[in-house]
Order: sequence, then C-alpha cells, then structure tokens
Amino acid sequence: MTRPDLSPSAPARPAAGNPLLEVDDLHVEFRTRSGVVHAVNGVSYSLSEGETLAILGESGSGKSVSAQAIMGILDTPPAVIAGGGIWFEGRDLLQQTPDEQRRVRGPGISMIFQDALSSLNPVYSVGYQIGEMFRAHRGTSKKEARQRAVELMDRVRIPAAASRVDDYPHQFSGGMRQRVMIAMAIALDPKVLIADEPTTALDVTVQAQVMDLLKDLQRDTGMGLVLITHDLGVVNEVADNVAVMYAGEIVERGTVDDVFTDPAHPYTDGLMSSVPQVEAKGGRLQPIAGQPPNLAAIPSGCPFHPRCPRRRLGAAAAPGRECATDVPPLRLVVPGREAACHYSEEVLGV
Amino acid sequence: MSDHSVPARGVAAGDERAAHRGAAGSTSRSRGTDRTTPSEPTTGATAASAAPRPGKPVAGETLLEIRDLQKYFPLTQGIVFKRTIGHVRAVDGVNLTMRRGETVGLVGESGCGKSTVSKLLVALEKPTSGSILYKGRDVARMSGRALKDYRREVQIIFQDPYASLNPRMTVGDIVAEGWAVHSDVAPKKGRLQRTQELLDRVGLNPDYVNRYPHQFSGGQRQRIGIARALALRPEVIVCDEPVSALDVSVQAQVVNLLEDLQDEFGLSYLFIAHDLSVVRHISDRVAVMYLGSIVEEGTDEQVYTSPSHPYTQALLSSVPLHEPVLRGQKDRILLQGDVPSPANPPSGCRFRTRCWKAQDVCAEQAPALVDRGQGHPSACHFAEAREVVPVDAE
Amino acid sequence: MTDQQQMDLRRDEVEAGTTTGLAAPSVDVTEARQNSLWSDAWGELKRNPLFWIGAVLCLLFVLMAIVPQLFAGGADPRACDLADSKALPSAQHWFGFDQQGCDYLANVVYGARNSLIIGVAAVLVVLVLGIIVGAIAGYFGGVTDGVLSRLTDIFYALPLILGALVLLRVGPSTNLPIISDRGPGAVALALALFGWMTAMRLVRSQVIAVKSSDYVAAARAMGASNGRILVRHILPNAVAPVLVYTTITIGVLIAAEATLTYLGVGLQRPAISWGLQIEAGQESIRTAPHLVLFPSLVLTLTVMAFILMGDALRDALDPRQRA
Repeated sequence: MTRPDLSPSAPARPAAGNPLLEVDDLHVEFRTRSGVVHAVNGVSYSLSEGETLAILGESGSGKSVSAQAIMGILDTPPAVIAGGGIWFEGRDLLQQTPDEQRRVRGPGISMIFQDALSSLNPVYSVGYQIGEMFRAHRGTSKKEARQRAVELMDRVRIPAAASRVDDYPHQFSGGMRQRVMIAMAIALDPKVLIADEPTTALDVTVQAQVMDLLKDLQRDTGMGLVLITHDLGVVNEVADNVAVMYAGEIVERGTVDDVFTDPAHPYTDGLMSSVPQVEAKGGRLQPIAGQPPNLAAIPSGCPFHPRCPRRRLGAAAAPGRECATDVPPLRLVVPGREAACHYSEEVLGV
Repeated sequence: MSDHSVPARGVAAGDERAAHRGAAGSTSRSRGTDRTTPSEPTTGATAASAAPRPGKPVAGETLLEIRDLQKYFPLTQGIVFKRTIGHVRAVDGVNLTMRRGETVGLVGESGCGKSTVSKLLVALEKPTSGSILYKGRDVARMSGRALKDYRREVQIIFQDPYASLNPRMTVGDIVAEGWAVHSDVAPKKGRLQRTQELLDRVGLNPDYVNRYPHQFSGGQRQRIGIARALALRPEVIVCDEPVSALDVSVQAQVVNLLEDLQDEFGLSYLFIAHDLSVVRHISDRVAVMYLGSIVEEGTDEQVYTSPSHPYTQALLSSVPLHEPVLRGQKDRILLQGDVPSPANPPSGCRFRTRCWKAQDVCAEQAPALVDRGQGHPSACHFAEAREVVPVDAE
Repeated sequence: MTDQQQMDLRRDEVEAGTTTGLAAPSVDVTEARQNSLWSDAWGELKRNPLFWIGAVLCLLFVLMAIVPQLFAGGADPRACDLADSKALPSAQHWFGFDQQGCDYLANVVYGARNSLIIGVAAVLVVLVLGIIVGAIAGYFGGVTDGVLSRLTDIFYALPLILGALVLLRVGPSTNLPIISDRGPGAVALALALFGWMTAMRLVRSQVIAVKSSDYVAAARAMGASNGRILVRHILPNAVAPVLVYTTITIGVLIAAEATLTYLGVGLQRPAISWGLQIEAGQESIRTAPHLVLFPSLVLTLTVMAFILMGDALRDALDPRQRA
C-alpha cells in the first residue's frame, strides 16, 4: 500500500509534531437493498499533536461517516469499510481484532456528538456516567470515580460541579449537556478528540462558550482535534487546517487562512459566496446550482461537475481534463494546498 | 437602479456609512461574484442591497401591528383533574409593526418565544392578552369570513421541510390544498395547470405533481412548502426558520427565491431565524428577542453595526466570522450561565441575571423599548451603541 | 449543446435562483390527471405478489362461505353415519369424519360462513369503533379525551370473554335486534364490543403524534376544517398500525368464538363453525388429531390471507415504502 504524501497539509499554525492519526485512502460503502451507497471514497488525512483539523462538508458529504469509521462505531452491516487504513500510534486499526481496537481507541481516541441528550443515558446521573469511564478502563473504585467526575465537571466549567454531580441529564441545559459529553470524552486524556458537529444543536452564544472550552482544553492537553462541521464560521475561528469534503471525497485541503482567503476548488468557492455574513449585508447571494448528489449515483468524472459553473465539457475541455469523464485527483496546486479540480489554477487565478 | 431613490431598505442612519458598508460587502464577496455565474448581473447587486430591489414596492402602509402581545402556557399537574401550577411566559409583551412589502427579521435563541410569535400570527394559538392588528382589525376577534380571509392572506413556511409536508399526499395535492379550502382563489378547472405553474415558479419541474415529498431533497421540499404558501396569493408570509434545516449550498437558493417572490408579488415577510447572518441579509428591519420580549429593534444597519442592548452585543459577538483577516478582531463577550426559565423569569429586566451592566434599578424596573439616544429603540436602562462586529475593510 | 443540456442548464439556474422561471411561463400540462393517494396505492398493490396471494386466498374463503356446495364435493354436512365416527382421511373423504360420522370436509367448508361472518363483522366493528373513538379522543384532546379514554379503560377492565359471556347470556332475554337472536351476528357484536379498545388506543396515540406535525399546522393555518384535517391529513397517517393490528385480530376473534362456544354461550349446534369444530375436536385430539388439524389449518390460512393483505395495504398506503 502506498502511503499518501502527507506533507502538503503540514504547515499548520502550531508547531506540527508527528502525525497522531492518519487516515489512508479510506473507503466506506453502505450496501442497501436499493444499491450501494458510496459514502466515503478514498479519504486521506493526518492529524498532528495540537492540531485542529476541520472537516467541512454538507450533509451526505461523508464527513461523519469517515469519523465513525475511525471510532469503529459504524453499523456493519449495512456499512462496509471497503478499503484503506486508519493508522493510530503506528498501528492500522483496521487490521486489528475488535478487542484490540477497543483497547487502543478507548483511551486514545474519543468522540463527541451533535446530540448530547441522546448520547447520555437518562436513567443514570451524569457523575455516574462520567465516572464509568474510569471504572471501566482503569478499574477505579466507585468513590474515587465520583471524585474524578467532579474534577472533570469543574474542568469543563460546569458551575457548582460538586453539587450537580448527582443530577440527571434532563436537568442540564443543552450547553451543559454538551460539556458533560466533553468531560466524558476527555476523561482518559485522549490524544485525539473527534468532535462531530459539537455545536450545531446549540445556540450561538452557547456555541461560543463550548468552542472556547474545546480550544482551551486542547491548549492544555496538546490533543489533536478533528472538528467535523458544516459551519464556515466555526472552521474559520477554531481550526488550523481544513479539508473540504464533497460526495465522499476531499476536494480541497490546506490551511484555513489559505483556503478561506482564496479557494482553489469551485465547490469551496461556491460555498464561500453562497453564505451570507454577519459583518456585511452584502448583495444578492450566489448559490451553488442544483442539489447535493445522491451517493448511490455519484456523477461520473468530477462529482461536482453537474453543479459547477466552471465545468468544461466535450471539446471545451483540455485533453484528459474533461469534467464529466475524467476524475480529477486531489493534487498539489500551489505549495501547501491541494485541490481535486482540473482547473484549480484558474479558480485560484495563478 | 438609481431611479429607485427612496431608501426603503433602511439606511436612515447615515447613507454614507451604508454605502461604504455596501462596498465593503461587495469586495469581501468579490471572489464569488466576479468569477462565477455569468448569468447574474453582479454589478449593482450590492447597490441593490441599500436601495430597494427592482420592482420591490416601497414599504407602504402598516399591514400588521402587534401590540403588547402575551402568550402564557399553563403548567399543569394531574391527568384527570388538571390544576394549573404556573405559567410559561413564552411571549411576554411583544410590540412589532410590519409594513407592506418589507421584511422584518426576528432573531433570538431557542426558547426565546419567536416560534410562538409565528404561531400566534397565523392564528394557530390564541394570545393570552394583547392584540394582533391586521389592516387595523384584531385577529383574535375575527371569525367566520374575516378569519378565513385572514388565513388566506397570511401564510406560513415551516422550518423542517421533512415534517411540514404530508408524506401521503402528492406534491400536486399539497400545493393545491389551499384551493380546496378557499375555492374562490382558483376555479376548479385549470387547478392542475396552476399547480404546475407554481412548481415551475419555485424552481421545480412541473412534471413532479404526482410525486411524493420523500422523493425530494430538503431544499426541493422547502420549495414545495413555498409553493403551497404562494398558492393562496398571500400578502404576508411568516417564515419560521425557513432555511436553518437546509444545507449551506441550498440555503442561498431558497433565500434568493424568497427575495424574488417578494419583489414579484409584493409580499411582506416576517423572517424568524436564529442565524444572524441570514437575518441581516434578508431583513429591512430586525427585532431581537430574549426570553419572551423584544430587547432591541431597528433597521438591519442599526442593530448590526451599533447594537445598544447588552444581549444583542453578546449575541453578535458570538457569531463566528468567515474572513480569516477578521479573526480575533472582534470583542468577545462570553455570556455566563444559561437563559432563565420562562416559567419564572427574573424581575425587572429579563437579561439582568447574565448582564455585566446590571445594577439595582434593573431588578426593580423593567426597561421600556425606547430610544435612549442611541438612534433606535432598545430595552436597556443603560443602552449604549457599541460596534461589536468588525467592519470588513480590506 | 443539445436541447436537453440547455434545458438542464436552465433548470439548474432556476433552481439556483439566479434566474426566475417566470420569465418564460412555458408550462405544458403534461398529464390530464392528478394522482391521489388511493389511486397510487392501488397501482402499488397491483404489483405486489403477496397482496395477490392474500387476495386469492380471501376470495376462496369468501366463495366458500357463499356457495359451500361448490367445495364440499357433493357431501352434505348433516348426512352422518355414526359408523364412520372419527374415521381418518381417505381418498373419498379427504378430511375424514367427525365424532358423529359426518363428512368433515363438508363440515369445514360449511363452517366458513359463520366463522367469516363473525371474524370479519367483529373486526369491522372494532375498526370503526376504534378509529372513530380514537380519532376523536386524540384529535380533540382535553376533556373529550379524558372521558373517552376512561371509558376505554373501563372496557379494558372487563375481560373479553367475560364481557361477551355476560352479554350473550343476557342477550336472548332482551329485545335488542341482533343481540337477542344468538346468531353469528350476536357473537360478532359481543366480541367487538369488548375488543375494540386496543384499536382505539393505537389510533389515539397515532393521531396525537400526527396532530402535532407541521403539515397539520400548515393545514390549520390555511383554514382547513377539522373534518378535512382528520380525513386528509391525520387518518391516512394514523391508520397503518391499526390495519395491521386488525388483520391479526380477525384470527383472534374467530378463535374467541370457539371459547364462547366451549362456555356454552356462543354458537350452538346444529350451527356449524370452525370454532365449534376445534372445540369439539379437542376432546379426542389423541385418537383423531385431524378433527383439530383441519379447522385450525383453514383458520390459519384465513388469518394469513388477511394479514398478507393488511401488510400489503399498509405498505401501499405509505409512499415512502415505494421504490
């Protein structure tokens, strides 16, 4: 298996260490009655210590499925990991037995979800559920586990943690529940935290609090953070690097500064100009035409070509770069930037 | 476009500044406009944001007037013999005016009561007290013919395009249902053709009349919901979070469609949303809600560039910005704690429990929604304009 | 660019909102007719083989109930010879003979009428009562719901068999039209009156769930009447689980008729029904198992036929199930 060239996405803002987590040409399919849904089609990325990598994409872009594959929480069947590798601490998780995977993932990689309420068990107190992490993985005593739970709740800034440790999930607000989830996720000092739309269900003022908390925790622990989101603003404010996903593929990758200032893929470009901004009223929005693709019938060639304003079809295309037939590879366009478009140079204007 | 000289889109506070911001907006977005979509005349698109859009009627007479609106939901205990143990004050003293042809944005976080306002407006709920005057008549006192007319003229678009369409009705039936209730709007003959025209108008293939909602994507379903509202030729459409369930790339399509329809049919919108960016984009005037009442109101320009209520300031400062150059340039106001329960709101000013300016007077006296010298009404004893969102001046 | 491509491009632009469709109001009415849920459902049913299996079986049993002579092979169920008592099946007498020495095939065939009348009639009453009471309770809520739900609870407290037993025992001494004659109609009514509550509960909970959906709110905001909302929006979305429940219930009710007979209040000989046959056959299940086997078999087939049709109908009425 050829390892992907990981250097292009390396220039992260903090000093990039060795890759903690590497996803290598991951393919995930859902084999359903009505056909095969290609949810993730050859996704590769790596995450270094202290790095925040945003995976930006719309619903159905495969951003969550790839994270679930890393966590080993895909429902198999119908999901099938059809190829690729997930490297963590020098081992390919996909080559290991489920038991070995659990031993590695439990303390090493953890995940928080969008819907904190349904991720918490309503019949146990939050303190018990946080303490469970220690009891299950470290064999800590009940009393000590409760003590650790209080410390953690303090750490995620839940006010009056000591008195709220025995409360039940429904007694917390949405933002506080998400903090409980974060407390559980960081309980075992993971090296990698995957946050799947952690603030989508939250109000904007609470979102700001939670993102602040995640940033502070990351600074303290040096963990790598994979932030899965559809919110351009959150990416801009929190992440170092960004990978833009469309139809199960990464279509553009680079530092947030570069990608947001000058997108190299027409999809990224379209996203940027279709979103209204709070800092200016702006003119008429410039939407991306059409609908997101059906993953059971991904268009041939470049998956974005039916919606692309720059597509070149037939004779208009350069040889080997016909948008409807030739699949554009994710390639280095300018130093530090990769994009999967035949005409990225034009999009960038270089 | 210069012949539309009356600035209906609310630039009363300093035309120069508005023009400047319009220009800033155009540059920040230029990468999208000057290279993509040649079909759209982009020049002047930004000017149109300050001047009325072509064909858009200048905001006219008052259409809707909400006066001191209150809606309390009883909290009950017991199953057979219910007794009331308190009230949730979902809406507690809302005042709002909407003129013909304008878009009023209503923003607030979840639980602030903005959705209850929308339900009250389309007469799905009866107000506890206060009134909604439509063309001068109180909706709560309407009945029979008058209420039926009101229900035709005021339509609603819902947030969740998956829940707002009956899964067992064809798209044609959904769009045409209003005509079965209001048979005078469209004669029986030719309804199919009108349905297809409407589908075409909202950007759907007219051949889809016999399909079912589940065969469409979220954005397409929202278009079906819009066609259903349009079918009755309404004057006012209450848009209750119409784009927040949609994918980012599809949101803009629906926003543009709403703007076009407004121009074409002279519609007035009450645009309810939690997304401050979308509200700013589409609204002429904006009202900010917190815990059942409006804390600040003004033109989009006034509210976004010189917010004067601490809550508005905190809200705006929490919105993540999209421009890397602006990162870290804004004041971050992190609010402490959670929104108090609407069943037991704080005395005096609702916001005082989370406010950094709170003093004794705030607990004693509820601040009125008036202009205290900052240029637009704000419900704070210590209202003071402050720039929170940095101006994007590249 | 081909015409098709140009049309696609235009469609994209319209969908993107960059151009408006109104500029060219070129709508052709492509189909003269608009489909409804029911016509689409029928189109779907027609293509479902399971539905046809169920339908053919049902038709068979209904025919059996109407013209049993066709199926009995010329035998008269009441022409009996005690010498043949409990004789096992043979080439001439496929189902053998019963205790009295009557041809069992003829008996089973002639039993279809009473059993089907009881099962189908009782289930129809259950369905009607359940839907009406459940829909009213769920839709109007409040006091109406409180009263109707408590009423249902009271009926729940009475066991099906006990309630039917009392009613059928008292029935003949009253002047009530169907109840007093102690025929299959009385049995069906008695079973339905004490067996509709689960259907009501099912409908009620579904109606409550559907009532709060946005599309109902949309219809209300549009000014649609309660009747229209119930018929067009709520019931089509609420009856599916009840349909499935009632198809299964047909079998339960036919079997319950047997219990009533056993207790001496159901149909009485010389009436012929599957319930009577199963009940009578139980005594000699060791020596003549065919006496229980054959009526049970046709009962099972009947129930299966209804379940197949109910399942197919439920799927056909749900557009989301269609490919």
